[in-house]
Amino acid sequence: MAAPRTATAEAVPPPRLWDPLVRLTHWGIAFVVLANGLVNKGGSLVHVSLGWAVMALLLSRLVWGVLGPYEARFSAFPPNPVAAARHLGQLISGRVRRYPSHNPAGALAIYAFWTLLAAVIVTGLVLTGGATPMQVAADKAAVASGDWSALIREDEGDEGDSPLREVAEEAHEVASNLLLVLAALHVAGVFVEGRAMRRNLVAPMLFGERRR
Amino acid sequence: MTATIEPRAPDIRSAGRRQTAALSAFLLVQTLGTVFFVGDVIGDLRKDPTSVHFLFEAFVTMALVLGILFGAFALRRTVELLRAQEQALDVARGALSEVIDRQFRSWGLTPAERDVAFLALKGLDVAEIAELRGAAQGTVRAQLTRIYAKAGVSGRAQFAAYFVEDLLGQGVAA
Repeated sequence: MAAPRTATAEAVPPPRLWDPLVRLTHWGIAFVVLANGLVNKGGSLVHVSLGWAVMALLLSRLVWGVLGPYEARFSAFPPNPVAAARHLGQLISGRVRRYPSHNPAGALAIYAFWTLLAAVIVTGLVLTGGATPMQVAADKAAVASGDWSALIREDEGDEGDSPLREVAEEAHEVASNLLLVLAALHVAGVFVEGRAMRRNLVAPMLFGERRR
Repeated sequence: MTATIEPRAPDIRSAGRRQTAALSAFLLVQTLGTVFFVGDVIGDLRKDPTSVHFLFEAFVTMALVLGILFGAFALRRTVELLRAQEQALDVARGALSEVIDRQFRSWGLTPAERDVAFLALKGLDVAEIAELRGAAQGTVRAQLTRIYAKAGVSGRAQFAAYFVEDLLGQGVAA
């Protein structure tokens, strides 16, 4: 069906398809959070590489929040706890409004996501002493070939188990667990909102609605 | 019910989508590369802050970051252009159906006849129109006959051609 006939009373209907950068960063971050949170061993080369990759994804999304099209920009979903509470109230009564971008509760969750993700990345950088995956790989190769000096340098870099390192380790752990909890909440939210709005909310984040 | 004849629009749409998807993927790879590079530069800097090397690396970093920002801006323009085109296409479709509706009224078609005529223009056959409208096929056939008579055309082919000719805007060559 042509768009004008399906469009509802609201001036700007929610996106039928998120733009590709939003989709790519969304699934990329989802993949890294799951992989690094549940599968990879902390400190391993894969773990550090994915951490750097997710830093790039987060930075891209933040740039896109300023430069992107309307519904990707921060201005389209400002953090507003009052509106978020109102939205959750509407959700309980089953009569939800439609928003041109994220709903207010979702917007809050997104800012929480980004904050936690940034915290995980920064603490991860502290833990590795800011070593890039290339350096981690080189150090591991050196250790494997019997050159233990790489280990010494690592210890010099962060002065053994300094208080900063311990705090970072704890924060890294807590923030990444919170990320996983938030991800579970997010999935539940998509399900509940989709039921309440009678609308497929997953399709716009994948390939859009199939034209029937 | 409009699925019978899809215009060529989806092709333009999916081509545009592929293009923006490719641009986005490229932008992400570019960002990834820049982040790794900057990480390496910072590492070098901590090892040897006085190196002249750093000036060059700072220049390259700046170029990479500017490239990303420009790429993001260009991508946004592309996404918005694509949307504007889709919207224009929808408007054009709306305009065409307005033209058709006005013509139907000028022929003095009744509301029921206008409905049937629309469906006929969309390429539905008598059985399909009858099913959609919950009417007998004989009724639809009689309505179509009256429509053709009011429009002064010989049959369905000429009826459809009436509107296509306006769009083509040129005489038949040869």
